[in-house]
Amino acid sequence: MAPLRHGRVSLALHRLREGEGTPLLLLHGLRGSSADWQGAAAEWPGPVLALDFSGHGGSGWVRGGAYSPELLVGDADAALAQAGPLAVAGAGLGAWVALLLAGARSEGVRAALLLPGPGLCGGGALPDFDSEVALPPPDPEPLARGWDPAVAVLEEDVRPVDYAAAMAAASQRLLFVEAGSEPPPWWQAARQAPSAELPAADLATALPRLEAFIPSGGCDLVIRLVEVPGCAAVAGAQAGLR
Amino acid sequence: MKPPEYPGAVAPERRTKISSAGLCLAVYEWGDPAGAPLVLCHGMFDHARAFDLLAPLLAERFRVVGFDARGHGESDWADAYLWPADVADVATVLEWVGRPAHLVGHSRGGGLATDAAARAPALVRQLVNIDGFGPPENGSGGPPHFDPDPPPLPERLGAYLDRRRRAAKLDHWRPHPSLDALVERRHVQNPRLTREWLRYLAYHAARETEAGWVWKADPSAGRAFGPWRPEWIAPLWRHLQAPLLAVVGSEPDTWGPLPEPLLRERLAYVSDVRRASVPGVGHFVHMEAPIPTAQLILEFLEP
Repeated sequence: MAPLRHGRVSLALHRLREGEGTPLLLLHGLRGSSADWQGAAAEWPGPVLALDFSGHGGSGWVRGGAYSPELLVGDADAALAQAGPLAVAGAGLGAWVALLLAGARSEGVRAALLLPGPGLCGGGALPDFDSEVALPPPDPEPLARGWDPAVAVLEEDVRPVDYAAAMAAASQRLLFVEAGSEPPPWWQAARQAPSAELPAADLATALPRLEAFIPSGGCDLVIRLVEVPGCAAVAGAQAGLR
Repeated sequence: MKPPEYPGAVAPERRTKISSAGLCLAVYEWGDPAGAPLVLCHGMFDHARAFDLLAPLLAERFRVVGFDARGHGESDWADAYLWPADVADVATVLEWVGRPAHLVGHSRGGGLATDAAARAPALVRQLVNIDGFGPPENGSGGPPHFDPDPPPLPERLGAYLDRRRRAAKLDHWRPHPSLDALVERRHVQNPRLTREWLRYLAYHAARETEAGWVWKADPSAGRAFGPWRPEWIAPLWRHLQAPLLAVVGSEPDTWGPLPEPLLRERLAYVSDVRRASVPGVGHFVHMEAPIPTAQLILEFLEP
């Protein structure tokens, strides 16, 4: 496990597989962790890395609780700084982070694969000024969990379509795995970008295309899709492919 | 060094610390502890002691409670900063006060106070916002450093990420050889404020270390990045239940006031708003003219 820092927080970056070639960085969803990629038996030609975002898994918590997707992009960027040019795959919130990273670091991120998962929608495309304005109550002393309760704010961040479109347009290459239900507006906007591949119906068609942009041989990737309560619900499925 | 004095400045009578989201916030009080409460919210890179001129005047009628925002003054530094977290801190202070309070904020503190009053109306009786109505629209002018023609979003996110990579190095202010050296820096940014007052302000905004004088505030405070835009400031204010007194100074200054059409546009979202202007002063209304400012506020607030 490589020690990594982003600002004042210590991050856990797990090396799931060794390899020679372009690294693949895996970004989990909201309230998830690198452990969600268990069984993601990646015969990726290069190293496979899985990051625990701030406030999740083995990474440190942000003192004061001010989590934002852009902060998590900084976490992923710290991994990019350490690992060098890479491909990234993110699920749910991790997909949003992957898109932002791919847009901001277009040189370093060779391709980004976006998958459904927890925290996929955020707070919608625009702030809702008519309802939901009350401040959330402070979280009571939490039982031991795998995440900082304050990460709940990451259910509410706004993801405007022009923001998503701008990041997508700047990305080198984007691939999408869609589960059949209506994806959120930011995802649909990103799909319009010139760099976006037509959505893949399943991983079987997505992965060879991701791998095709990385100069190396064949690859397998098994990713467990998870339920996203409330929004664009994705049926839990074990997707395996060869 | 003995704390500098300044005519009319009165140190707080009581100090304490409270907890908010795991951070320790420094709280200061003036006036009768059993009095009707009034909470003060300072601006960016200021601190609660910046109210040492205004607070004693308000304390003639109220229990005045000031606090240092996270990353400022004697309060803890956070690991990261976001506007909603600062708004939540205002609500924490209001809840600690224990009964509905008047809320008075300056500049960024005015914006935070207004958002807190909109989001937690049960905690706030009446609201005073002193020149804290948000930044101008992109491209329509603002303080000298405000970029009227910002680069594309991906580039700006990239620049934010570059700063985050260097965060450890950027976390510290350069030490200055003397308090007066800090005063000179502030005077360049705020030429309307006298060096005598800035010395008082800087004394409480900084501390002397072996290496020299450094600002107490966290250099990363307020340095977030996200999709937020100025059009999103005012619509929330539709939810304000507390009557609002909107105060500005008459003179242009490094920061503000907003162009009148834009200010009117934002205040149009507020159903119960009274306007007031203090003549002959700029952005730091309550520092340049504490007595007229206090008079306006005391006339407006119910006992």
